[in-house]
Amino acid sequence: MSTPSQPDPRADQAVFSDDKLLASHEAILGPQPDEKGKYRLLPLNLLFIFSSMIFFGGTYLGRYSGYFDARVFNEGAMPPSANVAAAPVDPVVAGKKLYAIPGACVTCHQPNGAGLPGAFPTLVNSEWVTGSEERLVRIVLHGVAGPIKVAGVDYNSAMPGFGPGGGFNWSDDKVAAVITYIRQEWGNKAGPVTTEKVAAIRAQEAARKTPWTSVELEKLP
Amino acid sequence: MSNAQTNAAPAEVTAIDTQARGPLLLLLGSGLVWLAVSGVLALITAIQLHSPQFLADCFLFTHGRAQALRETAFVYGWLANAGLGLALWVLGRLGGEPLRGLNWVVVGTLAWNLGVTCGLIGIAVGDTTTFALLQMPRYVQPFLVFSYATLSIAGVLAWSGRRADAMYASQWYAVAAIFLFPWLLMAAQAVLLWWPVRGVVQPIAAGWYAQSVWSLWLAPLALAILYYVLPKVTGRTLPTYDWAPLGFWTLIFVGTWTGGRHLIGGPVPAWIPTIAVVAHSLVLFHYLVVALNCRGLLAASGTGVGFMRFGLVAYVLFGALEFLASFRGIAAHAQFTFIEPALQQLGLYGALSMIFFGGIYYAVPRLTNRAWASGSLIGGHRALVMTGIVISILALIVAGKAQGGALLDPKVSFADLFDRVRGPLLAHTAAQAVLLAANLLLLVNFLRSACCFGGSTEAAPALFRTSATEEAHAS
Amino acid sequence: MKNGPLLFTGLFLALLISFGGLVLGSHGQLGRMAPYFDDGDGTAFPQRVSGLAARGQLVYADLGCASCHTQQVRRPDFGSDKARGWGERQSVARDYIHQARPQIGAARIGPDLTNLGGRQKSEEALFALLHEGSARHPGYKFLFETRDVAGEASPRAVKVAGAAAGRETVPTERARALVAYLLSLNTAYDYPEAKPFVPVAKPAEAKK
Repeated sequence: MSTPSQPDPRADQAVFSDDKLLASHEAILGPQPDEKGKYRLLPLNLLFIFSSMIFFGGTYLGRYSGYFDARVFNEGAMPPSANVAAAPVDPVVAGKKLYAIPGACVTCHQPNGAGLPGAFPTLVNSEWVTGSEERLVRIVLHGVAGPIKVAGVDYNSAMPGFGPGGGFNWSDDKVAAVITYIRQEWGNKAGPVTTEKVAAIRAQEAARKTPWTSVELEKLP
Repeated sequence: MSNAQTNAAPAEVTAIDTQARGPLLLLLGSGLVWLAVSGVLALITAIQLHSPQFLADCFLFTHGRAQALRETAFVYGWLANAGLGLALWVLGRLGGEPLRGLNWVVVGTLAWNLGVTCGLIGIAVGDTTTFALLQMPRYVQPFLVFSYATLSIAGVLAWSGRRADAMYASQWYAVAAIFLFPWLLMAAQAVLLWWPVRGVVQPIAAGWYAQSVWSLWLAPLALAILYYVLPKVTGRTLPTYDWAPLGFWTLIFVGTWTGGRHLIGGPVPAWIPTIAVVAHSLVLFHYLVVALNCRGLLAASGTGVGFMRFGLVAYVLFGALEFLASFRGIAAHAQFTFIEPALQQLGLYGALSMIFFGGIYYAVPRLTNRAWASGSLIGGHRALVMTGIVISILALIVAGKAQGGALLDPKVSFADLFDRVRGPLLAHTAAQAVLLAANLLLLVNFLRSACCFGGSTEAAPALFRTSATEEAHAS
Repeated sequence: MKNGPLLFTGLFLALLISFGGLVLGSHGQLGRMAPYFDDGDGTAFPQRVSGLAARGQLVYADLGCASCHTQQVRRPDFGSDKARGWGERQSVARDYIHQARPQIGAARIGPDLTNLGGRQKSEEALFALLHEGSARHPGYKFLFETRDVAGEASPRAVKVAGAAAGRETVPTERARALVAYLLSLNTAYDYPEAKPFVPVAKPAEAKK
C-alpha cells in the first residue's frame, strides 16, 4: 500500500482519531495563547453580519407586523383604531333586512307591501305610512287592533307590536330603520324617521300595554 | 507499513463499535427498509399527480392518504431511524466509552418501528390526524413518545458518561435532537390531539411543529454526523469553528419561528408570516456558519464524503431558497404550487438524506469491521440517487412555475393548468422510479455487508485487512 | 461549550419561547374568539352547519382532500382568488371557529373550496364527480354502494355507464355527509376585521 492510487470506495479512511478531534477543536474554543483577558471579543466581521441581519429583521418587523394585533390580516395595515366611529348604517338597508325577517312585517304585509286584501292592509300609498310620524311610530311600537280604514278599504284584524312587551322588542334604531324603509319604498315618498323621535315617543307612551285602536290614533296629530 | 497505518489510526474499530454493532445496524437497517417503503409510496403519489385515477378505487391509497403515508414513512421511518443510529454512534465515539443501555436501543427500535407501522395502517384506514408531519393517529402517538424515550436512553448515557468534559459540535447537535424531540412531540400532541385549540390556531400549531421537526430534530441529527465525519476524513480542524456555537444557538433559538412562512396570506394575523421572514433572515447566519465550517468537504475525497458534499450544498441552498420564498412577493407566485414540495424534497432528500447516506457509508464499515460488500453497487447508488434528486426537484420547480403562472391568471382553467404541468410531472415520476431503484441498491448492499448474505467477492481494501491483522496481533 | 446543565437549559428555553410565542400567543389572541353578532340580522356569524355537514368535514379530512384543495381565500391583491370567484374577501380567523379541524390546505392542484357552497348548488354534480372522477380528479367509488333497486329508484342514485338492470349505485352515508359539507361551505359574511385594506396615499393620515 505504498501508492494509494484510487481510494477504495468500499471504505473511507479516517485521519483524525476521536481524541485528537475533540482536543483540537476544544483548543479553538478555549483561551488562545495570545489572549490575556477573560472574555473574547466578538470578531468584527461577525458583528457586522449579525448587526445587518438584526437591522433588516427589525425594520421588517416594525413595518409589517401590524403591531401584533390579531385583527390585522394584511401586513401593510395598522390595527383598527378604537376612536374610529362605527360606519353609519344606512337605515334603508337595515330596515329592508328587518322588514324581511320571517314573522315580522313581510309575513302579513307581503314583500311587495300590498298586504292581503280583506286581511292585512296595504302599505303602498297608505296614508298611515306616508302621513303622521306620531301615529306610525306608535303603530309599530305597540301594534294596532280593531277596525281601521286604510286607503279607502276597511280592515278589522290585529297587528302585534314590535316594541316593548312584544316578541321582537326592537330597539329604537330598528324601529326607526324599518319605518324609514317603508316610507320610501314601493312608490311611497315620505321622509325618514329618526331614532330620537322613536325614543321620545316610546318614553311618552311608556305605560302603554295594549295595541292602539284606529280611534285613538286619529286623535293624534 | 503497518506501523505507519497505526499511527494514522485508519479505521480505529474499537470496542465502542463492536459492542454497538447489533443495535446500531438494526437501526440503520430499519431506516433503509423504511426508505424503500417510502420510495414505493412516493412513486404511487407521483403517478397519482398526473394520472389521478391510479389506485383511486382503493380506499387505502387515495391520494390524500398516500401522501400522508409517504411523508410519515419517510420522516418517521427512514430519517428517524437513520438519524438516531448515526447520532448514537457519534455520541458513543466522542464519549470515548462503549455505549450503555444498548438493550433499550433494541427495544426502542422495535417499538418505534412497530408504532410507525401501526401509524401507517391507521392512516391508510382513515384515522389520520390531517396535520402535516403529525399524521399518525392519536392512539399511536403516546406509544411513539415512549419508544423514542427508550431509544434516547443510550444517547443520554453516552453523553453524560463522556470522558472529556469538553463537547464537540456533533455532541451539541446530537444531544439537542435527542433531548428536544419528545418535548416538541408532546407539546404538539397536547394542543392538536388531546386538547385541540380552536379554529385557525390549529394550523398555526401544526406549522410550528412541522418547522420544529426540521430545526430542532432532523437538521441537528444531520449536522451531528456531518460535523463528525468531515474533520475525521480531512484531518484538519474546521476553519471557522469559533463561530460554530453561535451557528448552533441560532438554529435552535430562531429556527422554529420560521414555520409561519407557509401561512402567508392566510387567515392568520399578519405578524406570524412577518416573524417568519425575520426569523429566516436571522437563521441565514446558521447556514452561513455551516457552509463556512464544512467547506472542506468540497475538496475532500471518499465515498461518504461525496454524498455529504452533495448534502451540504443542498442544505445551504435550501436555507437560501426558504429565505427567498418567505417574502410575499415571491410567495404570491410560489405558494400552493409544486415549488413547495420541490423545496421539501431539496431539504429532506437532497440535504438530510444525502448526509445520512454519507454517514451510513462511513459508519457501517466501522460497525461491521468489514468494508462494504460491493463497490459497484455504491457507484450505482450514487449515480442514481443524485440523478433522481436533481431531476425530481427540477421537474417540480418547472411544474410549480407553470402552475404559479396559471393560478395567477384568472382566465386559465384548471383543465389548462393540468395540461401544462403534466409533462414535468411525468419527469418527476421517472425520477421517483430512479430514486426507488437507488434505494433498493443501497438496501441490497447494506444487507450483504452487514448480514454477510453472499460475502464480498472482491478483495477487502487494505484499510480493513490491516486493522483486522492489528486486532489479531493485539489480542 | 462545556456546561451540560447550561446546554439543557438553553435548549429547553428555546423550545419554550417558540412554543409560547407562536402557539400560546396565537391561542391567547384567537383561541377564545366569539362569533360576531350582527344586530341587523339578529344572528351570529359564522353560523353553525348541520350535523351531517360537520361529519362531512371529518370525511373530507380523512380522505386527505386538503392535499390538493385549499380552504383559504387570499386577499384580492395577493393572487387571483377574487377574480376566479373564490371569494369576495380574504378568509379571516373567525371563519374557522366552529370547525373541529380546519382544513386550510397547502396546495392548489385543484381549486380553492372555501365558498364552494356559494358557487355550486347541485348535489348530483358533486355525487357524479365523486363517483366517476375525471381526467384531473380521482373518483371515490368506495364511497358508493351498488344495490338492488327497492321499489322506486333513489333520487340520489348516480348514473353509471353499463349499469345492470335493477341495480342502482347510491352514495353511502359518508358520501352524503361529504357532499352536505361541501355544499355548506360559504363564508359570505363581512366581518369588520375582513374589510379590505386600502393603503393611504400619505403616511401621515394613517396615524389618525
